Amino acid sequence: MTGSEERLRDGATGQEGDDQSAELFAELRALEPDSARYGELRDELVTRFLPVAHRLARRFRNRGESMEDLEQVATLGLINAVDRFDPERGTDFLSFAVPTVLGELRRHFRDATWSMRVPRRLKELHLAISGAVGELSQRLGRAPTPSEIAAHLDLPREDVFAGLEVSLAQRSASLDEALQQGEQEGLSLGDTIGSDDPHLAAVDERESLHPLLECLPERERKILVLRFVHNLTQTQIAEQVGVSQMHVSRLLSKTLERLRQGLGRER
Amino acid sequence: MSEAESTINEPISDDVSFDVEVRVAATPQHLSAIRAVAADLAMRADFDLDAIADLKLAVDEACSTLVMHAASGTELSCAFRCTPDEIAVRAVVPSADGTPPRRDTFSWRVLSTLADFVTASVSRDGTPTRVRIDLVKKRTTVVNA
Repeated sequence: MTGSEERLRDGATGQEGDDQSAELFAELRALEPDSARYGELRDELVTRFLPVAHRLARRFRNRGESMEDLEQVATLGLINAVDRFDPERGTDFLSFAVPTVLGELRRHFRDATWSMRVPRRLKELHLAISGAVGELSQRLGRAPTPSEIAAHLDLPREDVFAGLEVSLAQRSASLDEALQQGEQEGLSLGDTIGSDDPHLAAVDERESLHPLLECLPERERKILVLRFVHNLTQTQIAEQVGVSQMHVSRLLSKTLERLRQGLGRER
Repeated sequence: MSEAESTINEPISDDVSFDVEVRVAATPQHLSAIRAVAADLAMRADFDLDAIADLKLAVDEACSTLVMHAASGTELSCAFRCTPDEIAVRAVVPSADGTPPRRDTFSWRVLSTLADFVTASVSRDGTPTRVRIDLVKKRTTVVNA
């Protein structure tokens, strides 16, 4: 156990509490989810670990989001953890809950933070559009057009334009980097990239591109290769990498700029 | 017209008229205005989101390349023509040294992946010598499954 987890544990319940939690979880899992006792127990467990969630939320406090919002996101993560924790697995709840809550907080920063004040209506519009884009992409097998999004959401096209423009205001750069570590699980880079390196190498001979590519975070490099070596669309890449198309778009844009800067004035 | 370094597959004829033209100082910090115009035009032409993003990145890459080739203190012009099937873009700067962008670079690969057609040329018929990139992004019709 790391030092920080130890502090978290002390702050929450202590050793005895943990044993008690294990009992509560065992009882919870034996109950029907729609029984009254289930609801009670679930509430009790969430409340019991709330200080842990809030403590984790505090780690993100200097990133421009209000503490209240962060605590809400962390609480949501905690509730998910309580619902999904399986005591049979032999790990204790905290080892499961801490990464779950952190994951929820990271996702919040990845998907929903803004570099400038954006009216709430526009944020909601943007969220609705993001949802529609995901759904339509899956159904159509390609990225939707603004008019398809408008029809799907039953909104005027002008509203969709406004919502799409808002995505330009979304923060991406520094936080993506800050949160990079620990987000790498689930990206199976090796398979796709290994076989394509020769193609890329042929291009980068003259451009000293290789050292720059090496410096890129794994995910950015993968996205770059999928787009410019495999010639996949951003929507297809989004599906493979597990982020939204808009996020792929931002990452590509940022990566290309970074490469340009790295290559300097070379023509 | 005398198009030195003229290329394969010239997609935009020289006498074409454009719908929108943006002029900015030929420095990297003003390219965001051009990007925003490119994205807006593609969005209003009802291109799908992948094509919108591709056009934006392509215009960014083309203009960034030109900025590096521009004589100092000059302007970059980026003109757009929207037709039902495609958006054609012509970006031009007064050339610093009369050389066209190289085609063996990663940047060129990026451009040719993102756009359906792209050409670079240097024209010496006027003063000053200009370097230009033309590109065309077509509306996506069918996407391979």
